[in-house]
Amino acid sequence: PEDTRDAAQARARSAPAPVTDVAKLCVCDLLVAQCDVNCCCDPDCSADDFSLFTTCSVPVVTGDSRLCSQKAAVYSLDVEANPPERIFNLVDQVNPNIFCIHATNYKQALYLKSPEIPTPENFDRLLDEYGGATFSAEPDSWDLDAETENPPDANETYRYEYGVPVQTEDAFLRLPSPVVSSWCSDANPAGFLVNQATKCIRSVSVEKCDSIQALSMLFYINSSILAVSMIENSHKAEIVNITVQSIIFQSLNGMRTLLNSSDVLRLPMVLGELCINAVLGVNYHITYTDTGEIIEAAAAFVLGAISKEALSIEQSFEISFTQENTQPVPLSGNPGYVVGLPVRAGFRPQGYPFPAEFLFAPLALSSSKHSQLTILQSTSTQDCLAAQGARAPVLFGYNMISGCKLRITAAMKCQPLAQTLLDVLKGQSFPEYVASFGNSQAQDVLDWVPITQLHISEQVKSSCQIPVSLGIEVKWTKYGSLVNPQARIVNVTATITTTTLKQLPSGRERIIPVTSSVVFTDISSPAEPGYKAWPTINIKLPFDFFYPFV
Amino acid sequence: NNSSQLSSLPLHILLYVNGIYYIFYFLATLAMIIYKSQVFSYPDDFLAPDLAVLLLMAILEVPRLYLGFKGNLTEAEAPLGLSLGLTVGSVVLCVYLLLWQTYVLWADVLLNALLLAAYALESGLKVTAIAAFVS
Repeated sequence: PEDTRDAAQARARSAPAPVTDVAKLCVCDLLVAQCDVNCCCDPDCSADDFSLFTTCSVPVVTGDSRLCSQKAAVYSLDVEANPPERIFNLVDQVNPNIFCIHATNYKQALYLKSPEIPTPENFDRLLDEYGGATFSAEPDSWDLDAETENPPDANETYRYEYGVPVQTEDAFLRLPSPVVSSWCSDANPAGFLVNQATKCIRSVSVEKCDSIQALSMLFYINSSILAVSMIENSHKAEIVNITVQSIIFQSLNGMRTLLNSSDVLRLPMVLGELCINAVLGVNYHITYTDTGEIIEAAAAFVLGAISKEALSIEQSFEISFTQENTQPVPLSGNPGYVVGLPVRAGFRPQGYPFPAEFLFAPLALSSSKHSQLTILQSTSTQDCLAAQGARAPVLFGYNMISGCKLRITAAMKCQPLAQTLLDVLKGQSFPEYVASFGNSQAQDVLDWVPITQLHISEQVKSSCQIPVSLGIEVKWTKYGSLVNPQARIVNVTATITTTTLKQLPSGRERIIPVTSSVVFTDISSPAEPGYKAWPTINIKLPFDFFYPFV
Repeated sequence: NNSSQLSSLPLHILLYVNGIYYIFYFLATLAMIIYKSQVFSYPDDFLAPDLAVLLLMAILEVPRLYLGFKGNLTEAEAPLGLSLGLTVGSVVLCVYLLLWQTYVLWADVLLNALLLAAYALESGLKVTAIAAFVS
C-alpha cells in the first residue's frame, strides 16, 4: 500500500510523456469521440465517414524534418474509388541533406521543455515566483527613495513629460482604477498628459462608511501636487493644492443636482439607513504650462448616498489636462470625421449674415451638450414621459436606433402631448447646422451643413397629429486624395413622422412605440484617379509669317 | 635495395595522408559544432565535453604522427609502439565523437568513419612494421 501510494505520487509528479509515434498523432482530431470533418488521421472516423471527405486537411505527420531518416504517416484520399476511401501509409522519410541529424544524445534536443510540476518541496518557491496576480514590479518600488540612488544636481529640476507619474509630496497622485479584476486599486498613479477615465468597484459597508477613507472627499484632495517632477528632496518644489471645483449630489434614483457652494468639505456620515456624502466620482482637471509645470489642479466631485443593502458601489474617476490660456475644442477628426467621434453641430445666432467673430455657438469645453447632435437614449423604464432628458451623442459612422413607449390615456390632450413628444425626440436644443468636416471652425460658414427638416404625416385631415418617429439621415462622402480619403458630411435630413391620435373611450389606454434613429449613408462616387495634364505644345506663328504671300 | 630497408613505405604514405586529412577533419568538425550550437539547442554543459574531446584529440594527434614518422624512418620500434598506444587513445576519442556526441550529423558519421578506417589501417601497418623491426 505504501509503495503503490508512492508510485502514484511519483506518477502524478511528472508530466505525462509526450506522444511521439507518428501513427498515433493527429493534429486535426479536435472533437472527442466524434469524427472531425476532412481529418484523415482521426481514429473516430469510420469508412462511411471517409467516403464523405473531400480532401485531407493533414496529409503528412512527421517528426522533426531535420532528422536523417524518420517515419512519416501519410494520409490521402483515393477519390477514384467508389466510394472514396482513405489510404494510410507509414513510410520512411529520408532527408538527403548531409547535415541531417543522424542521432542525438540529448533528450530535450527536439522537444519542448516540460514545465515544473509543483511538489511539496518546491511549492513555496513556485508560489513566490508565480503566485501573485501579476508578475510585474510592485508600485511601492516607485518610491522617491529608490530613485535617489543616482542623485542628480541639486539645482536641476525635471519638468513633467508625457506619461511621467504626477508627483505629490509623499507619493503620486492616485487615480483608482481596476487592476486585473474590477475592484479598485489605489496604487495606480496618474500620468502627466494622459487623459484617463476609469470605473471600478469598491466594497463598502454602511455602518463603517465614515471610516472608509476612499469614500471621503478628503482622501482625494489632501495630497498636494508638485509643480515640477522633483527627485532631489533638498530643493523644495512649488506645491499646487487641489481645489474643489464643484460638487454634484446624486440621489438614490440617479437624479443629479449641482451644489451652489462648493467650498465646504462634506464628509460621509451615517444618516439613518443611508450613508450620505459618499464619493461616487471624482473628475480631476489639471492645468499645465507649456514648459511642463503644473499650475492648477481642481477636482469635481459626485457625492451620493449608499443604501444599507449595498455591499459595493461603483466609483468613476477621470483626469484631464488642459494647457493654460487655451480653451480646448475637441475635434472629431482632422479634417475628415473619424468613426466613433461625435458629430459636431451648432446654431446660427441672430444677426446672420452679418460677419461676426464667432458665428456659431459651439465653442465650448468637451462636456457641453450643445455642441453635439444627440438622439434620445433608451432608458430601463422605457417610458417616454418619464424620460429625464437622457440623450446619447450621435457618433459618426455608428447607426443608432432608440426608442420609448408612450402610454396614451383618454385624458391626454393632443397639443401638449405633441409638444412633449417633440421635445423627447429632438431634445432641448436641436441644432440647426452640422459641421461637414471634423475640424470645421465656427468662422467658416461654408463648412457647415444645414439640417433639413422634413415632416411626414399620415393623413391630411386636421385631426390630432403626434410625432412618433424621428429619423436622422446623414449622407457623407469620401473627400480628398485617393489613398487617404477623408469623411465629409454632405447632407443631414431629420424626418419627423406623425400619426393621428384617435380619441380613446374613457378608461382605456393605448401604448404606442416612439423611435428615433440615425443612419449614415456613404454617397461617395467612385474615385477617379487624376493625372497631371500632358504638356501641350503652344506654338503660334507670328501674324505676318507668310508675308508677302498672305 | 628493398630487402635491406625495413621502413614501411605504405605506412609513411598513410601517415602523411592522415596528417593532411586530420587538419581538414579538425576544421570541419569544429565548424559543424559551431553550426550546431547556433541552429540547435546546445546547452553549455553539453557543448563543453564535445569541444574538450575534439581538442584533446588534436593534441594527441601531433605527437602520434611525429612518433609514427620517426619510428618508421629510424626503424626503431619504441616510438612506433608509443605511437600505437596514442592511436588507441585517438580511436577512443573518435568513437566518442561518432556515437556519443550531443548531435551526430550525417557528415559527422562520414568523417569519423573515414578517420577510424585510417586509424585501423595505420595500426595494422604499424604492427607489421614493428614485427619487421624486431625480427
